[in-house]
Amino acid sequence: MEQEFHIAERLDRGVPVISVGGEIDVATAPQLRESLHLAITPEQSSVVVDLLNVTFLDSTALGVLVGALKRCREFGGELHVVVNDARIVKIFEITGLTKVFPIVDSLTAVGAS
Amino acid sequence: MTDPDTLGVGDRVGLVFPARGDLVVLARLVASVISARAGFDIEELEDLRLAVGELCLLALQGSDARHGDLQLEFTVSADALDISCTLVGAAPALQPITEDGDEALQLSEQILAALVDEHGRHQDDSSVRAWLRKRRRGPLA
Repeated sequence: MEQEFHIAERLDRGVPVISVGGEIDVATAPQLRESLHLAITPEQSSVVVDLLNVTFLDSTALGVLVGALKRCREFGGELHVVVNDARIVKIFEITGLTKVFPIVDSLTAVGAS
Repeated sequence: MTDPDTLGVGDRVGLVFPARGDLVVLARLVASVISARAGFDIEELEDLRLAVGELCLLALQGSDARHGDLQLEFTVSADALDISCTLVGAAPALQPITEDGDEALQLSEQILAALVDEHGRHQDDSSVRAWLRKRRRGPLA
């Protein structure tokens, strides 16, 4: 059974960690966009996006992440993507975004827990 | 005798649903079932599931789809699956695609280019149609 889309936000050592689960597509991506927009500010310019429980994502989701990355960098920060599902990593690879995003396979790799 | 769990050469399946983003999941579900029944392996099936979602997005891009339908057609051939997605009953775009739309369109194009063998998009005054062809790695079961 497909996992229901959900977003959870927390602070880990002062850095926002946005954990997403389920499918991120044209229907659910706006919720992620909103969460990221609220999380990224001039005072809080870096964010971790945890996609470990994401089962599917499309170009709309990638567009939201690219937009958030631009916002982070505009404020001097960075957006880290955590993903370890080969199918999801493949989508970043085929769009060339593995060269754009710092992508790691675990939360500990970005200093979060 | 034809196996009832498979789709053979010439078989066609159609799906029509309101052109709403929250219903694109229906296209992906149907693509999964048809791909499996047309003899594609699990990796190809995942590729097609993603690709069909992108086809729907391409058909929706730049159009006033609030009142239209998306019409999908899946056709099985000897070595491939052809899928088309046509936006019908919606007004064509009055404005050029926005900057965000251009970026999304580019990502969709990149995904399709990587996952399928051929794809395209055609827009005229009355409709938008996106299509793809994915060839099967193995023979038709």
